[in-house]
Amino acid sequence: MKKNFFLFFSIVIASLFFSACIKDTDFDQTDDIEITPALELDFVFFTLDANRFYDIDAGEYNLVVSDTTDFTFLNDEFTSENLLRAEFLFKSTNSLPVDFISKIDFLNASYEVFYTIQFPVNSGTINNPTITEFIQVIEGNDMELLTQADKVIVSINASTSVENLEGVYKFQSKTAYYLKVGL
Amino acid sequence: MKNLIVSLFLFWVFSALSQNKQVLYGLEEVPQSMLLNPGSRIDYKYHFGIPFLSQIHFNGGSSGVSAYDIFQDTDGDINTRIRDKIFELKNTDFFTATEQLDIFNFGWKNKKGIYFSGGVYQEFDFVLYFPRDLAILGWEGNQNYIGKEFDLGEVSTTGELLTVYHFGINKKVSKKLTLGLRAKIYSSMLSFRSTNNKGTFVTRLSETNNNIYEHIVSNANFTVNTAGIASLEGMDNTSQIRNELIGRAFFGGNIGLGVDIGGTYEINELWTASASVLDLGAVFYTKDIESYQVKGGYTLDGIELLFPGFGEGESPPYYDDLINEIEDSFPIDTLNSSYTKIRPVKMNASIKYNFGKSIGGSGVCNCLKMGENQEFNQAVGFQYYGMFRPKGPQMAATLFYYRRFSDHFSAKATYTVDSYSYYNLGLGFVANFNVVNFYIMLDNLQWYSNIAKAKSVSLQLGFNIIIPEDE
Repeated sequence: MKKNFFLFFSIVIASLFFSACIKDTDFDQTDDIEITPALELDFVFFTLDANRFYDIDAGEYNLVVSDTTDFTFLNDEFTSENLLRAEFLFKSTNSLPVDFISKIDFLNASYEVFYTIQFPVNSGTINNPTITEFIQVIEGNDMELLTQADKVIVSINASTSVENLEGVYKFQSKTAYYLKVGL
Repeated sequence: MKNLIVSLFLFWVFSALSQNKQVLYGLEEVPQSMLLNPGSRIDYKYHFGIPFLSQIHFNGGSSGVSAYDIFQDTDGDINTRIRDKIFELKNTDFFTATEQLDIFNFGWKNKKGIYFSGGVYQEFDFVLYFPRDLAILGWEGNQNYIGKEFDLGEVSTTGELLTVYHFGINKKVSKKLTLGLRAKIYSSMLSFRSTNNKGTFVTRLSETNNNIYEHIVSNANFTVNTAGIASLEGMDNTSQIRNELIGRAFFGGNIGLGVDIGGTYEINELWTASASVLDLGAVFYTKDIESYQVKGGYTLDGIELLFPGFGEGESPPYYDDLINEIEDSFPIDTLNSSYTKIRPVKMNASIKYNFGKSIGGSGVCNCLKMGENQEFNQAVGFQYYGMFRPKGPQMAATLFYYRRFSDHFSAKATYTVDSYSYYNLGLGFVANFNVVNFYIMLDNLQWYSNIAKAKSVSLQLGFNIIIPEDE
């Protein structure tokens, strides 16, 4: 009887110990893991009034103003490898009685332009500013161009002189980045 | 002082790890059961653990997910399974790994009936709580969560590699009561801890109307304490690191002190109760300490272009200024101040009902033990195991059946409900061949046909030499 019990438990333990296995699993699926977050991130913003167009040296108003910033996030190795698509939203609120063309150039340190976004902004008034929203979706080959850029130039081109005009041009923007990160 | 006490308490409760050994507890044939209850009953004269083989314990687990849950070989998409699990897991779910290796273990009974035992074991503990909000943010991004506050303070982890030198005494103080006490010296080789972190992150529609959103990190306060790690960073090769760690194992690292206490009370010949409290102590970190603390907050709303007028000079370096501003908002302090970490305190308690045949003698009554409670060859009972955790206590309840088949063989089967599952079946087996004692214990048996489905696995085995009282 005792021998039988011993035999029984020995067999149970031994069979558990030696039969323990991992099955019905496929660890190669690790290669299929893709993290696909969608990130909402503010981009550039500014507010312009007529004085920003005044050229102190020349003593006159220009039609175009521009400003430049580095934006190395775009050609960062991680971004260029994993960014599938970017959706830029530009929101312009114009209370100046002048039409504008807004232009955003994406370029490298040598000022070589890789991608340009351009959109018109209609004139408005102080009491009734014009709100313009413009969306630009970038993917595929364009994304390859975008991710070579590490600098952004924003240019605002007025259709007529803003001299002595009241009002402001308010510019806001954000980007939705759609990433696909494999392991 | 109040802060110190609160901190010590938090360290203590956080340090608790998964170390329940429900099959081994109360299995008095195995000398290592004294490490779970220094007041267990001992009916042998000497024991020696076979060096490095007297106890090998491994436990790995996660409270909310098994390998099968993620890697099952079915038609579904692994990414969908991961996403579903991220949302299903709670921030109180955790991943642990515990390993314990007896280096040596010995004991003897003196003429006054006091059993002395001692030894050295090495232990590795690791726990990581699931930072649910960060996982959601990382997996999904913030697009669908505009206005949601993500809790960054869910990041909680601790780990320790140490050697424990212990020496205990055990005595049957009356016919019914056996008490034991074990003193411990901890020699910590490596330790890290990041607990009690705070902070939130939210992306919300701008309230200042500067830009479209505001990305806000509020009240961030993160601390990582390390001991024994900074000095290893300068070492080039593994043999240098190994030699350094071995040195620390022999009191070269940070030292701590602790005690285990326990007892067994034979209520009557049918009922026996026991209880123990283990690792009442602390490690004092004074050497090779490096702690990092990041505190701060920041609101990001993009890059503001200033369009300096013509003739007003060049634009400032907006992007670099922004990065610097963010970095300045989260200064990293490196501290080298000593700290104390309370060891994880574990509690065990059991009540068992003995029945079956009397052990020894005629089989009805062991006449050598007249006047003392008899021992029977079978028992059923209940065990409780508990540890405090920062996000709620970790407890386990076990029902067990014990059977001694002969002087040579005994076994114990357990059914445990714990943080990992409601149905953990365990089995232990002890064999004594002359003076050689062998034991093996496994739990989560129901998953052994496919370990991938188990949320935790635990294995203990070992060899000892035991000299009975009458030899």
